[in-house]
Amino acid sequence: MKDKLLNAKNEAISLILSTHDSKELEEIRIKFLGRNGTLTTLLKDLVSLPREEKPIIGRLANETKNIIEDTFNQRLQTLTKNKQSMTNSIDITDPGIRPPLGHLHLVTQAIEEITAIFNKIGFTRKRYPEIEWDWYPFTALNFPDNHPARDDWETFFIDHKPDPKLGPVVLTPHTSSGQIHEMQKGEIPIRMINIAKCYRRQSDTSHTPMFHQFEGLVVDKEISISHLKGALSYFVKSYLGEKRTIRIRPYHFQFTEPSFEVDVSCGVCLGKGFLPNKQKCKLCKSGWLELGGSGMVHPNVLKNCNIDPEKYTGFAFGWGVERVLMMKEGIEIDDLRMLYSNNLNFLQQF
Amino acid sequence: MNIKILDSWLRVYLSTKATPEQIAKHLSLCSVSVESLEKTKITDSKSTDYIYDIEITTNRPDLMSLTGLAREASAALNQNNINAKYTFTTPPKPSTQSNSKTKITIHNDSSLVNRVCAVAMEVQVKPSPPMIQKRLESTDIRSLNNLIDITNYVMRTIGHPTHIFDLDRLDTSTLTIRESKTGEKIKTLDKKTYTLPGGDIVAVNDKNEIIDLLGIMGLENSVITDQTKKILFFIDSNDPTKIRKTSMSLALRSEAAVLNEKGPDPETAIDALFYGIELFKKFANAKIISPIVDIYPNKTKTKTISVSEEKINSVIGIPIPLKKSETILKNLGFTASIHKNTITAGPPSFRSKDIEIPEDLIEEIARIYGYHNIPNSLPPTPQTAITDYDHDPFIWEKKTKDALKYWGFTETYTYSLVSRDIINQSPKFVIDSSLQNSKLSPPRLQNPLSSDYTYMRTSLTPSLLKVIKENPDRDEFKLFEIAFVYHDNPNKLPSQNLHLALAIQQKKFTLFHLKGILEQLCQDLGISDLNLIKENESINIYLEKNMLGFIQTHDTNIFTLELNFENLIKHATNKKTYKSLPKYPPIIEDLCLIVPHDIATGDIISTIQKQNPLVVSVSLLDKYKNTRTFHINYQSYHKNLTDSEVGDIRAKILQTLSKKFNTRLK
Repeated sequence: MKDKLLNAKNEAISLILSTHDSKELEEIRIKFLGRNGTLTTLLKDLVSLPREEKPIIGRLANETKNIIEDTFNQRLQTLTKNKQSMTNSIDITDPGIRPPLGHLHLVTQAIEEITAIFNKIGFTRKRYPEIEWDWYPFTALNFPDNHPARDDWETFFIDHKPDPKLGPVVLTPHTSSGQIHEMQKGEIPIRMINIAKCYRRQSDTSHTPMFHQFEGLVVDKEISISHLKGALSYFVKSYLGEKRTIRIRPYHFQFTEPSFEVDVSCGVCLGKGFLPNKQKCKLCKSGWLELGGSGMVHPNVLKNCNIDPEKYTGFAFGWGVERVLMMKEGIEIDDLRMLYSNNLNFLQQF
Repeated sequence: MNIKILDSWLRVYLSTKATPEQIAKHLSLCSVSVESLEKTKITDSKSTDYIYDIEITTNRPDLMSLTGLAREASAALNQNNINAKYTFTTPPKPSTQSNSKTKITIHNDSSLVNRVCAVAMEVQVKPSPPMIQKRLESTDIRSLNNLIDITNYVMRTIGHPTHIFDLDRLDTSTLTIRESKTGEKIKTLDKKTYTLPGGDIVAVNDKNEIIDLLGIMGLENSVITDQTKKILFFIDSNDPTKIRKTSMSLALRSEAAVLNEKGPDPETAIDALFYGIELFKKFANAKIISPIVDIYPNKTKTKTISVSEEKINSVIGIPIPLKKSETILKNLGFTASIHKNTITAGPPSFRSKDIEIPEDLIEEIARIYGYHNIPNSLPPTPQTAITDYDHDPFIWEKKTKDALKYWGFTETYTYSLVSRDIINQSPKFVIDSSLQNSKLSPPRLQNPLSSDYTYMRTSLTPSLLKVIKENPDRDEFKLFEIAFVYHDNPNKLPSQNLHLALAIQQKKFTLFHLKGILEQLCQDLGISDLNLIKENESINIYLEKNMLGFIQTHDTNIFTLELNFENLIKHATNKKTYKSLPKYPPIIEDLCLIVPHDIATGDIISTIQKQNPLVVSVSLLDKYKNTRTFHINYQSYHKNLTDSEVGDIRAKILQTLSKKFNTRLK
């Protein structure tokens, strides 16, 4: 019995002193001092001892119990104090040690979001060439030979031998040339979003010679103006916010008939044209901002791609990536050329 | 093109109770865009008038006029349940004396000018009455005197430019219309001299001297002065293409030129003549002194177009009753009739160029009906839609860009158009396999905007180096760009290939950090078999046996990498293979070898791996002076390897390495 008590004491103390965890400490206490604990059981066994041993062993048993309890309490105190001082000696306002984080260009961010929005309604992303035979951005899109957009003060021409059928080589001024490539594949139905670089001979605060457009094209049986409005409204609400609405107005493009100009309600005055203080909203025109052009694909364009306009109709739209990007709240850049300045202080804001 | 219209002047031809706001709104929604509506006190300082600033699309020159806009407004307002009436009536043919004193013979070339309407009159020059002056001012035209003002007033009302000559100063019995020859000189009425490029439409007198640049601007030799007593009132309907060419090459963008290059309706030329005569009589005491000339050999033809109710409804998306379509078209000046389920309509002459196919009719019907009355519906997802995640190049691009972003890189978008300098700095060798045998040259712009942007670039690296130069306040750079580079192709279209380029300047960044980035990227894209090989002065990147790109080291510790991204991702894959976990533990050991300096680590590693299939991985753990430590993993999937089995393999490894590379164990 004496030995058992000694062993229990030594084991308990050893375990208590080697633990760093208060939960584990509690488990040790239960193991020895709990209802079925080692020491508790030993104390119960005292009854069966011979009469003359009882007082001595009894005293030893109690001593052992007390030592274990004291050791336990001391250890518990120490662990609690350690925990507190650990957190107390830390200045949590010190900067964190961060893993690297770079920056994707604003245009990439816009393109990714635009793609994700259209992917969701069944559109596939494409990227058609920037350098084209003149036939693709103009002739196939129903532009007559002498149309102003084909003048060499609007479009960039490449020094290259012209093709007898397809004309000179140009930098495409609009992603609409992608419509022709897509339709020539001959796979209908079409749900395409062509996002690519375009080039125009213009450079000022709201134009850069190189820019990006996203061109949507839907060709199928019985595509209507209602579908065009639905798709564009869905995009605008997804990209700019649910409260925004669109309207379409009559306009004129060579490659669509009917043609529309698409406006979005102003984000600042919410389409009212006036601010709450009764002042005229400075950002918009009577509550609306121009987004870009759209229309029902002109039958001549369908025919140029060997698609029967009696069987199929389609709609298309072509908008500036930079333009919709600048409509996002917080991105009111006053000079568009900043986007392509590659000033790191600018790029690393985003 | 834009036009400013005074509300009170518009209402001379538009009878309605609609407010200016309502007119602006319905015009914008159904017809042309009213960009602004401003209050003005221009007509009378006591009452308020309004000015509409309207954008007219190039296909609607008929709307560069009060009459055209009044007609459109009437159709739009009526459709929206606001009563409106278009009240213009064509002026009657004026009577002329039979014994006209003046005879001037006009010789026309109908290939240049489709219609000539003219008459000679005796007149009195004086200031225009206030109403005329104010109306012209409201539409941004300066008032000069009654004669010139009337020509502009008529243009604004009817939509066809008009011209007057001082008849006495013309001093000729004939007026011949011909093409100019290159080099002929003219002096315009604002006293500027121009040399004609040739092929311009001009009018000459008896002496073959040019007396007018038709449709663009009058000349000094026949311009109206304060002494003018007789005028030749002249209206020419000319070839729009020639007008544009002349106007643009001389940079003479007069109101008349801008309108004439859009092709106003020749039918309105005679209305302009008769209305002008009315005004000259009223405001210039005019007396007609010649017969009225009207040379009009090729009258405008219009055709009728038919479209079915089914087609109309299918394109618009909702059913529109044919009766409604008929009303709309008639209100716009069309003839229209319904037969069974089809409507047949004929456009008015001023829409003849613009209305040719059934879709043109559908546009007229839909826009007046109101696009805001058409509901929104999403186009249905096609039945054949399949997503091929593993072969979508855009997904690989996004993955690459995200990886670089999370490794601390900033993405740049530099211009594809570059200067000669940048081209000279571009690497001369080809990393686009399709071009291996062709002469490498950049496509060149014929009409660049500036010398900074003359060529299409053949490499991204110089552009990234330029970004570093242009950010002098920084000393650390981690940049990337994915963009196209271009190569001229004499017999085909210039090609474009997608490249990836990196540029790094950072403390403690070495070539092996760059190699690590490339290796890690390939791992994430599922690409193996990428090698770097030192060739001459450069470090080239090879994928399988093909050159993919190159690494360069520049002054001031800048590293750049450029590779053909299209070709890289052709080998990318998401395919993952599961290998069951080994049941038996591996044996791992480090072999410390003395290796001659000229032996490549890669060669040692590949040799070790070849010695036995139980060698599952070998890597360089450490390199110090001539000692290299290799970390080797032996693993069997079938049994526990014994020390003696491993010992045999190790012996073979050491023997082979010693023989091949002259290594020895340390």
